[in-house]
Amino acid sequence: MNQLWFHLMPYTDLPEGFAEEHRSVWVDVDSRLYDPVKGHVMYNDFLDELEFAAACGFDGICVNEHHSNAYGLMPSPNLMAATLARNTDDCSIVVMGNSLALYEPPIRVAEEMAMLDVISGGRLVAGFPVGTPMDTCFAYGQNPATLRARYHEAHDLILRAWTTDETFTFNGEFTKLRYVNVWPRPVQKPHPPIWIPGGGSVDTWQWCARMDYVYAYLSYFGYLAGKETMDEYWRVMADLGKEPNPFQAGFIQFVVVADTDAEAMDIYAEAGEYFYTRCLHVNPGFVDPPGYKTEATVRAGITSQIEAAAELAEAPKQSSAMRSASGLTFEQLVSAGCVIAGSPTTVAEKLDHAVTELNVGQLFLLLQFGNMSKELTRYNTQLFAEKVLPELSGKFESDWEDRWSPKPLAKELRVGRQVMEVTT
Amino acid sequence: MTPPRQHRVRVHQRDVVVYELGDGPLLGYVHGMLGNPGAHPFLEHLARRHRVVAPCLPGFTGSDPGDDLHDMFDWVSVTSEIVDAVGLTGAPVVASSIGAMLALELQAIRPEAFDRMVLIAPLGLWDADRPIADLFALPKGAQAEALSSDPGRAVEFWEDEADLSADELVRRKVGRYHTRRAAAQLVWPIPDFGLASRIHRVACPVGLVWGARDRIVSPDYAGLFAKVLSGWTATETVDGAGHAVEWDAPDETAAAVELML
Repeated sequence: MNQLWFHLMPYTDLPEGFAEEHRSVWVDVDSRLYDPVKGHVMYNDFLDELEFAAACGFDGICVNEHHSNAYGLMPSPNLMAATLARNTDDCSIVVMGNSLALYEPPIRVAEEMAMLDVISGGRLVAGFPVGTPMDTCFAYGQNPATLRARYHEAHDLILRAWTTDETFTFNGEFTKLRYVNVWPRPVQKPHPPIWIPGGGSVDTWQWCARMDYVYAYLSYFGYLAGKETMDEYWRVMADLGKEPNPFQAGFIQFVVVADTDAEAMDIYAEAGEYFYTRCLHVNPGFVDPPGYKTEATVRAGITSQIEAAAELAEAPKQSSAMRSASGLTFEQLVSAGCVIAGSPTTVAEKLDHAVTELNVGQLFLLLQFGNMSKELTRYNTQLFAEKVLPELSGKFESDWEDRWSPKPLAKELRVGRQVMEVTT
Repeated sequence: MTPPRQHRVRVHQRDVVVYELGDGPLLGYVHGMLGNPGAHPFLEHLARRHRVVAPCLPGFTGSDPGDDLHDMFDWVSVTSEIVDAVGLTGAPVVASSIGAMLALELQAIRPEAFDRMVLIAPLGLWDADRPIADLFALPKGAQAEALSSDPGRAVEFWEDEADLSADELVRRKVGRYHTRRAAAQLVWPIPDFGLASRIHRVACPVGLVWGARDRIVSPDYAGLFAKVLSGWTATETVDGAGHAVEWDAPDETAAAVELML
């Protein structure tokens, strides 16, 4: 299986009482809280941490896109991926990803991702999220009713731009281009692997199945809460006649390792509580603008609500989970499975159980989160790499082929960063 | 009062729900954000003296969705077709909120569309000092309070009666979702699509009605509209009413409308 080190790049200096004194960490988060001098240090630390993870032997390093967001400081993940492509040699560069509907014309994505694929020698994973409502509809003003149609049209254009040798004309509903001719061309043929980060949308699952893409469920609420969604995903895949190849599924998990279980509970508690209390403090009005969800998803949600009401149970949906996770202690977060914490043995066992239960071969690991310091991140990352990563490495590989990871150029064809000495 | 007659009109591959009630001179009604429930005290009041014809715009309260409507030009085109199809061309019209915005946009390019207009808290202009509230950034419960000074009056838009079958519950909730989706689609992200540069072309008589407690579009906007509408006749303010004026105060609003017809 692939163990992928994921950075959200959170602002690590949100004040105490942030959740009480501010409406939201996202969209209208108070910009006076951002100190660019501290930000300068944070960005450089975060990039150091990603490069360190690559050096430690993780299979991939991951960045993603958020806007007007104090826990995700990457409005442009491609900028980050560009520097990572230069400063790493072997690992996958997983951009999870570019929200396609936000780019007009969307060939900008085809161009930048092709650049990344060429610079990295074919190590790019192209993530194509629809994007959250906070990012797309509120921060970027996209109409929720047409967002998905725009997304799909942009996807079709990018795919065609990557795979068509002739200059062509694209006359879409939203984008009209007389000449489409992307230079550079991606290294990977027919195109870099495409992974789709998403919530629990039935339509997205069906589309991933049809297109043979990886579906990645990027929930912050851990493997226990994620089980129901992943079970549904695999049920839909089975209904469509698709084999349950774990490499076609991704999941994200917060993980912390220390020498002992007790030490892990002690040294990471502050970072965990910071993330779940301050970073997930989102104005509920931003979470579900009408039109963002497809009718099929709305219908499924209503039906499950009615059923849940009948059973006097609460539907375990992410928005309610987001509210209920806020204010939990670190112990409660670990008990709920939001965070896997413990000694290397404990963590390896729990993660093995989690990926087996969820049947995921692309495991995104959040080993830095909240206000975790650079030193603690280094400790967590290195200990994981030395003691946990080898335990899980190779899992699923005897039974399943990974058809969704990058296929880089042969090593002898690849060049990396070569410092040119100034001669006198 | 005889219940409204509901029928469906085919308008270029889309079914449009139309309610008709009352007898007398023809009067059109173009609904606002909550759509058109058909049976409604406001329409019943108007129907005492008029034959009220009230189509539901694409996506609203039972009409087929408007997924193909991407910009204001698309919306105005389809509204124009609907007005023709339901026989409202050249008739007087009462239009509310986003419906009033569409009526103005249509009238600006098609001066024969309506004979005269009474507009209830129209959208369409934008004053940076008094920005129109972002209704869809509020949780649903807060949306009801933002739209209406008395959310209980429009309660059927937000809540279901007890004892409905599961199928009926799903049908109603999905229907409401479509209405909310269509309203958001029409105004996203800012309800200013350039009307200010076209509104001078609206020359017919126009009366304005505003809720004194409108929290979506400040009553101050009435002055902005009056200033740029050459046919402006009068502005009536309904005390105590919010943006959903005809829901909050149906009889007072209908009386104010009738004064201006």
